[in-house]
Amino acid sequence: MTTVMLLENVTLQYPIPRRYKKGNIKPSGVRNISLKVKQGEVFGIIGRNGSGKSTLLKMMAGVFPPDSGSIAIRGSVSLLAGVGVGFHKDLTGRENTYLYGALMGRSKEQIDGLIDEIQEFAELEHHFERPIRTYSSGMKARLGISVATSFKPDVLLIDELLGVGDAAFKEKSRAKVRELIDASGSVVIVSHSYTMLKQICDRIMVLDQGGIVCLDSAEKAIEVYQKMLQV
Amino acid sequence: MTQSENIVPLLPLWGKRPIHRLPLIVVGDLIRSRHLLKLLVKRDLSGRYRRAYLGYTWAVLEPLLLAIVYSFIFTILVGSSDPLYPVKIVIGVIGWSLFARSLTTSTKSLSNSINLFQFARVPKTVFATSGTLTNVVLASISLTSILPFYFINDLTISINLLMLPFWLLMLSFTGWGIGLLLAPIACKVPDVHNLINFLVRVGFFLSPVMWTYDMFGRRFGDGWHSVVAHLNPTIIPITGMRDSILGEASAIPHYGYFMCFGIALLGFIFGAIIFERKAHRAVVNI
Repeated sequence: MTTVMLLENVTLQYPIPRRYKKGNIKPSGVRNISLKVKQGEVFGIIGRNGSGKSTLLKMMAGVFPPDSGSIAIRGSVSLLAGVGVGFHKDLTGRENTYLYGALMGRSKEQIDGLIDEIQEFAELEHHFERPIRTYSSGMKARLGISVATSFKPDVLLIDELLGVGDAAFKEKSRAKVRELIDASGSVVIVSHSYTMLKQICDRIMVLDQGGIVCLDSAEKAIEVYQKMLQV
Repeated sequence: MTQSENIVPLLPLWGKRPIHRLPLIVVGDLIRSRHLLKLLVKRDLSGRYRRAYLGYTWAVLEPLLLAIVYSFIFTILVGSSDPLYPVKIVIGVIGWSLFARSLTTSTKSLSNSINLFQFARVPKTVFATSGTLTNVVLASISLTSILPFYFINDLTISINLLMLPFWLLMLSFTGWGIGLLLAPIACKVPDVHNLINFLVRVGFFLSPVMWTYDMFGRRFGDGWHSVVAHLNPTIIPITGMRDSILGEASAIPHYGYFMCFGIALLGFIFGAIIFERKAHRAVVNI
């Protein structure tokens, strides 16, 4: 299988604020991460809070550069992180969709061709024409997932978002991710829910304190993670 | 092999780029991102006065009201008898606001737009530029407040008016360039925002908003004071705006133009280099 993302010895450490420098505080971030994400693969990342999962995704998205090491990507990449990230509260769902698409490098014509599909999938009906500030968290998240998956990046990075919405929408979101993978895209997903990761991921990486603890098949990695939590 | 494999190679996200090409890379990024720029400007414009009953009328009212207050104070203090003084203040306020807003919006662009570049790889200069272009549009709207003065002061439209867009762009370009230079530093040292706010307040008095180029010339002559004063990059463009609108020709020396264009160009070149080299790492601090 073709490699769509290659990370070699990637390290990034957040600067320690000056007021904490005198204390014995270890810098957080990620260190010496090397991995390959294959085309059509669902790659999971799991770890405790502060283990570096979201930092790693941001580096994969090209938001943060590494202090050392290299990241190479084949095609486009998009990060779906947090409810309403990238949306402007005073713009309508429709206007935000156009803005989000442009941020992902899509032309107006490309967005025109997808707008109905996005509106339908997000189940927003007439709210699509209302400002985002009137939306509930669930509505924002549905729009986020709908927009991010519809633009079909070659690599979609998802940070903790497939658990939003009601049971039916969760199932719909997972189906959409599968659809994306079938369209030869790849997905890297961060979650605390190992049941969900086990269901949808081909491989999982367990992170702890910024380093790789285990990178293996979904079942084996979850086993390692569960043992780690018991310690 | 799949189709995408044939077309798209595996490319490094953070390849090395030679320093001398960085200003050109900034220009290329902005040209490629023009659709996004347009949407961001539209968003900023629609958000600026969205909840105000008077909407964009405020863009016209603000300089007019300021001109009334300043004219009143200045006439009391100095006893100016120039009938064109109020319109000169309106032009000064609009020109200075354009520069100051372009400087502050581009300096704050990284911290204010973090929400927008957290999920895709977007050229970060786009956010500094969209804020600056928004200010150019607002300044252009504000300039309609000059129209009543054409009737009140019986002014005539001269060919000089064609230079007005150029001076507007010069002011915004200079503020934008210096802002690009400061934006990465402001992420690491938030005090820069306070410093800029302070400089903008001081700069208001050091720039030809309440005074004019001729007043300065009469007071200080053409000695070293004049050379030092031209280090302020707003003096020539604001005077240029006044000359364009009022059909006058201020006695600006050649070195004044050289200093003005030189500062603007150096601001852009160094701004583009520092921004492209430091901005990506600086956002980690936010």
